[in-house]
Amino acid sequence: MTGKTQAVLEVNNIAVHYGGIKAVNGISFSLEPGRISGILGPNGSGKTTLLGALTRMVSLTSGSLVFLGQDYSKVPARKILSLGIARTFQTVRVLPDRTVLDNILLGTDALSSSRAGNVKENVRQAIERTGLEGFEQVRPGELSYGVQRRVEIARAIAAQPSLLLLDEPTAGMNQHERQEIGTLLRKLSEEGLTQLLIEHDVQMMLDTCDKLFAMNFGVLIAEGTPESVVQSISVQESYLGKRAQQNA
Amino acid sequence: MNFFSTNIILVENTLIVILLALSIQIPLRLGVFSFAAIGYYAIGAYSSAILMLEFGWGSWEAMFVATVFATVVAYLLGLVLARLTGLYLGMATIAFDLILVVIVLNGGSLTGGPVGIFGVLGSIELWHLAAAVIIVLALLTLTERGKLARRFDAVREDPQLASSMGIDVVSYRRLSFLISGALGGLAGAFAINLRTTISPESIGFGLVVLGLTVIIVGGQASWVGAVIGACIFVWLPKLLDFVGDWEEIIYGMVVVLAAIFIPGGIVGLFLEAKHRRQSKRNRSVVEQVSALLAGEDEHESRSAAVNEGAISDR
Amino acid sequence: MIQDLLNALTLGSIYLLFALGMALVWGTIGILNFAHGSIFMFATFISYLIAERIVLPLPVILVIAAAVGAILSVAVQVLAFQPIMRRAKNQHSAELQILIGGIGIAAVPIAIAQRATLSNPFGLGNSSFQVQIYEIGDVRVSNIMIMILFAGLVLGGGLAWWIKVSRQGLALRAIGVNDEVASIMGINKQRLALATMALGGALAGLAGALLTVYLSAITPESGDALLIKAFAAIVLGGLGSIAGVIAGSLVLALSETLVLTHTSGTWVNAVSFGLIFLILVVRPQGIFGRKNVVRT
Repeated sequence: MTGKTQAVLEVNNIAVHYGGIKAVNGISFSLEPGRISGILGPNGSGKTTLLGALTRMVSLTSGSLVFLGQDYSKVPARKILSLGIARTFQTVRVLPDRTVLDNILLGTDALSSSRAGNVKENVRQAIERTGLEGFEQVRPGELSYGVQRRVEIARAIAAQPSLLLLDEPTAGMNQHERQEIGTLLRKLSEEGLTQLLIEHDVQMMLDTCDKLFAMNFGVLIAEGTPESVVQSISVQESYLGKRAQQNA
Repeated sequence: MNFFSTNIILVENTLIVILLALSIQIPLRLGVFSFAAIGYYAIGAYSSAILMLEFGWGSWEAMFVATVFATVVAYLLGLVLARLTGLYLGMATIAFDLILVVIVLNGGSLTGGPVGIFGVLGSIELWHLAAAVIIVLALLTLTERGKLARRFDAVREDPQLASSMGIDVVSYRRLSFLISGALGGLAGAFAINLRTTISPESIGFGLVVLGLTVIIVGGQASWVGAVIGACIFVWLPKLLDFVGDWEEIIYGMVVVLAAIFIPGGIVGLFLEAKHRRQSKRNRSVVEQVSALLAGEDEHESRSAAVNEGAISDR
Repeated sequence: MIQDLLNALTLGSIYLLFALGMALVWGTIGILNFAHGSIFMFATFISYLIAERIVLPLPVILVIAAAVGAILSVAVQVLAFQPIMRRAKNQHSAELQILIGGIGIAAVPIAIAQRATLSNPFGLGNSSFQVQIYEIGDVRVSNIMIMILFAGLVLGGGLAWWIKVSRQGLALRAIGVNDEVASIMGINKQRLALATMALGGALAGLAGALLTVYLSAITPESGDALLIKAFAAIVLGGLGSIAGVIAGSLVLALSETLVLTHTSGTWVNAVSFGLIFLILVVRPQGIFGRKNVVRT
C-alpha cells in the first residue's frame, strides 16, 4: 500500500444485505488512478446498490472501503464529497429553478476551504470542460437532458474530486449525446480523474473504459479489458441468455 | 400622524403576524412541513403572561425567558418528530398546537382557563417590535443570498442530492425548528405585551389558518412574501368593512384561488416575471451557441443544435 | 357500563362513516381533504333546508344528504383539487396547496350556514321520523342508534369487503400503491378519483344527517371538530387499510367515552390530538398500516 501506483479506491469483500435481499454479496476490486472503469450488468444485478455503498448512502453489512489509503466504511454520506468522492445520479438531479451556475456552485458550497481552493477558477474550468459556456444563467429545466447531465458532471468536477462515480450517465440520450459524454469522460481521465461508470450501453463502455467489471446477482462475474469482458461467455449469458450464446 | 395613531393596533398586528408567518415559512423553505409555529406563539404568550402576572417579572426578562422556552420546546419537538415528513409531520405539528390549546383550557387559574389571561401590562412599545422585526428581516436576507440560499433550496427540493453535496440535512432541519421556535415564541411574547390579553381562542386552529394563508398568498420563497401576506390579511378586513358578513367567504375564496392559480404567492409571481425576462435574454445566447456549433460540422452539429437549443420535453 | 359501550360504538360508527370518506380519498389519490368536515355539515344543512319545507321520511332525507355530499365533494375535486394537481410542480407543493385550498374552501359553506342560522344549531326534526327509545334492562337504546350502528357496520364492513374483492376496489388499491403503473394498466385515475370523492362525500353527508338526528341538532362548526377526529382515527388505524379506519374509529370513540366518563368534558378533545401525536411518533404506520406507507 505504498508507492505511486497506490489504488485510488479499494473495495474489500463488501456485502450489502437488507430485508433478506443480498444486493451486494462479496465484491472486491480496486481502481487505478486516472483510469476509467466500468460496471456492466443487467437490471437487478446490484450495480446501483454498489454505487450506493461506495457513496455511503447505503450501509455495508460487511467488508471495507478504502479511499486514498483511508478506510471510509463508517464515514457519513455527507462527508464523502470533502474526502474527494463525487457522483452523478441515475436520473439527472439538478435544481430546476436555479441557474446552471448556481447548480454548479452547489457542488462547491460545502467544501472546506482547503479542499475548495479557488472556487471561481474551479467553477470556470468545470464549465469550460463540459462545454457549458454561455449557459450559466439558464435554468436547467429548460435545457435538453444531455445538457442537464453535463451540468451534473460540471457540478461534480467543480468540487475537484479525486474519484468520480457516474450512474448511467447516458441513459435516455441519443447516439450523438452519448458520444459527447464519452469524449468528455475520456478527456477528464487524461487530466488524471479516476472514474467508475455504471452503464447499459455496451458500445459506450467499449469506447470509453480502460477496464470493465461485469456484475450479476451481487457479485463480479468477470473483470478485465472491455473487449475480453464483453466477449466472455458468462457475461453474454447473463445479458442474452444461454440460447443466444449457443447461436453465436 | 393621524393615520398612524388610529391604526396603531393594525400596525402592531401586522408586525406580529409577520413574525408568526416567518415562523411557519422558515421550516417550509427547508421542506419541513411544520405548523407548530402557532404552538410556539402560544408558549411565548402564555409564558410571558404567567411570568409577569404570577411572578411579577418585568417585560424584558419575561419575554426573553418565554422566547427561549419556546425555542427549547421547538428543538425538542424537532428531535421527537425527526422521522416524519410531509403531511404526517404537518398533522403531528397541528396536533401539538391543538394539544396546547386543551392544556391551556384546563390550566385553571394559572392560564385562566377558557377566559384566558388579561391585564398583562408590559413596558414594551411598538418601536421595540418594529426594531425586532427589522433585525429579523435583515438576518433572513442573509439566508436568501448566495451559499445559504442554494443550500436551503437543495435541502428542500432534493435532500439526497443535498447530502451528496456535503450538506448536513439533519442539522438544517433541526435548525429550522430552532428558528421557528424563536420567531414564534417572540411573536407571542410581543403579542401579550402589546395586547395585554391572551385566550385559548386566539391560539386555536384559526391562527393556524391565518398563518398558512398569509404564507400561501404572500409567497413561501422569501420574507417579502410574509410581509406582503401579513399586510393583506391584517388590512383587508378593514378595507372590506362594507363587506361585513361576507368577509369569511371572501377570505376563503382568496385562499382557494391563490392555492390554485398562484401557488408561489405574490412573491412567486414577481420571481416568475423576472425569470421570463431572463429567459428571453437566455434564448438568444443559446441560439448563438447553437449557431456556432452548426458552423463546424454540418451533419453532427445539427443534432447538437437541436439538442442544445431545444426545450426539454419532460 | 354497557350503556357507555353502546354510546361509544354509536359515536364510533359516525366517526367511521366520516373517516372512511377521508381515508378512501387520502389512501388512493393522496388528497388530504380539509373541506370534508364542511361538506359533512353543509350536506346536512341543505337537507335541513329541504326538510323544513316538506315533511319527508327519514330514508329520503338520508339519501338527499348523501347525494348533496357527493355532489359537493365532486365539485371541490373538479373546481379546486384537479386544477391544483395539474399545475403543481412536484408532489410536495401539491400537497401543501391542496391542504390550504381545502382550508379555504371549508370556510365558505361554514360562513353561509352561519349567516343563515345565525350560528344557531339546526336539526332535522321536521320529518316523519320519531326517535323511539327502548329499554333492555337498564340500557337505553334508541332506534336512531340502531340505524347508526347498522350503517357503520354494513357500510364500513361492506366497503372493506368490496375493496378487497371487486375489480374497482383492486383499481383503487393499485392507484394507492403506484399510480404510474396503474395508469399504464389502463386504470383511469381521474374517473376513479371522482368516484372516490363522490363516495366519500356521500358517506360524509349520510354521517351528518344521522348524527344530527342522534344529537337532535348540529351547528355550522360541527364539521371541523370531526375533521381532526377523523385524522386521529385514520392515523391510529393506519392509512391504506380499511380495517384500520374501522379499528381506529372504534378505539377513538371508546377512548373518548372513557375519558368523558372519568374526567370532566374538557379533556375529551385532547384524546384525538394526543393519539395523533403519539401514534405518529411511536408507530407512524398505525395499527394495521404497512411500514412503507409513510413516505420519508
